[in-house]
Amino acid sequence: MFSAGFLTALVLLGLVWTALGALALIVLLVRDWKRGELW
Amino acid sequence: MILAAALNAQTGWSIVIGLGVLWVLLGIWWGRKAKTSEGFMLAGRNVGLALGSATAMATWVTSNTTMVAPLLAYEKGVWGMLAYASASFGLMLFAPLAFRIRRLLPRGVTAGDFFRMRYGHAGWAVFLVITLVYSITWLVTMAIAGGKLLEALGDIPYQQGMTLILVVCVLYTLFGGLYAVIGTDFIQSLIILVGIVFIGFTVINHMDVGTVHEHISREQPALLDVMMPAALLAIFNNMLFGFGEVMHNNVWWSRAFAMREKVAPKAFFLSGILWFPIPIAAGFIALAAGPLGVNVTDPSKVGPQVAEHALGLAGLGPLAGVIILVVLFCSMASSIDSLLAATSDLLVRDIYEGVFKQTLDPQRFRPVAATSIIVVSLVAWGLALSGWNIDQVLFSAGPLVASLIWPVIAGLFWKRLNRPLVVVGMLSGCVAGLLCYFHLQTYTGALVGAAVSMTFTIAARWIAPSPLEPATPSA
Repeated sequence: MFSAGFLTALVLLGLVWTALGALALIVLLVRDWKRGELW
Repeated sequence: MILAAALNAQTGWSIVIGLGVLWVLLGIWWGRKAKTSEGFMLAGRNVGLALGSATAMATWVTSNTTMVAPLLAYEKGVWGMLAYASASFGLMLFAPLAFRIRRLLPRGVTAGDFFRMRYGHAGWAVFLVITLVYSITWLVTMAIAGGKLLEALGDIPYQQGMTLILVVCVLYTLFGGLYAVIGTDFIQSLIILVGIVFIGFTVINHMDVGTVHEHISREQPALLDVMMPAALLAIFNNMLFGFGEVMHNNVWWSRAFAMREKVAPKAFFLSGILWFPIPIAAGFIALAAGPLGVNVTDPSKVGPQVAEHALGLAGLGPLAGVIILVVLFCSMASSIDSLLAATSDLLVRDIYEGVFKQTLDPQRFRPVAATSIIVVSLVAWGLALSGWNIDQVLFSAGPLVASLIWPVIAGLFWKRLNRPLVVVGMLSGCVAGLLCYFHLQTYTGALVGAAVSMTFTIAARWIAPSPLEPATPSA
């Protein structure tokens, strides 16, 4: 059986990872925009 | 109304129309860049990493992700969440393929160009039938899901809601082509990610994960079982379904052609990394249903139902419905627009130009492209009108798309191949996979389809292979 610790780590990792994904997209957008490489 | 704190019809209409007007205006704005057919269909082949990653990720976040991932977690527990997350591997594995696609077809426009070049007219025809059936079915499921959600959340009658969401997506795709699709995908992807994180942390704030675990281990211990056979089978089936879908569908090929050559592999890999945690975050929301005391009346809507409950507990009241509606609307629009654009590209490039041998000059391109977008949307609208359960058709397409995995890999990377044998393998994979899907177990369909097609493709490498043509610029 999956332990409580594993489930907690999985869920928190999932949420933090998702949040970091949003942040990464914004950082990349700014970087591409500054370089004139959006499209 | 299915959800307790659903919005009133006026608010529902206002949100959808407000977002729709925003997407259409942005579509018109970005569409000014689409002056040529290449601009309209492939956003000028110059898309950068940020927009490229976001569009691949947002397209893969469908209403299935936000609705079925919680359902899988609710019914199959931890493995259910991980099974759905494994669909991200398809995006990651497409990265090296995207690199090769750009090398092999530097002026390619659709996935059909590849199948025609590598497997001749027979292979191209098999691909077209599979991909058109799959893409239209996927589009119809999105339209139906949209209509049902607007009915559930916004009290908008099904047929009106379904029509509204299609009309919005058609309008901005018509005005802006792939520029509009990619641009809106970026905003939609941010809304989806932020929305899921916000709802997830709101749930945790009212019910810590330890308590959820304690409740499940007492009431439904199977959901925490490390060796849950059905869920383990679901992982491999889902993964292969994802591989087949991403590797064959023009939605992804058109993006590979649209991104800058060096950007495409990085963008696909990053999009997979970004997508992976979403089913876990969304799935957890469903696991909290029992501990939060939510009476799940319809498991297919367990995600929004628990989200609405948790946001209600956080004192957000009617705003809960607004947040859920906006996130779900974005998750559907980001897929519908991509499917409209990519499927209509297939109609223009492969059917109109390829099958009917019509030549498209720049003056005639936009009317033909617009007509094909409208035709695709009308077919989807007609099929979605009754609201019948088409999910089964989409899932049963798993064996079909899985049968294309190995032909795509072999056609991209191998130098010699017995092409007729590969085509026979595609067809055999489809037949064997469908038989297993309907007569054995649904989770075996994609597995068997991929395995049969793989066997034929590997045999085609050794039995009377002939050299494959080197890179042939098309378009």
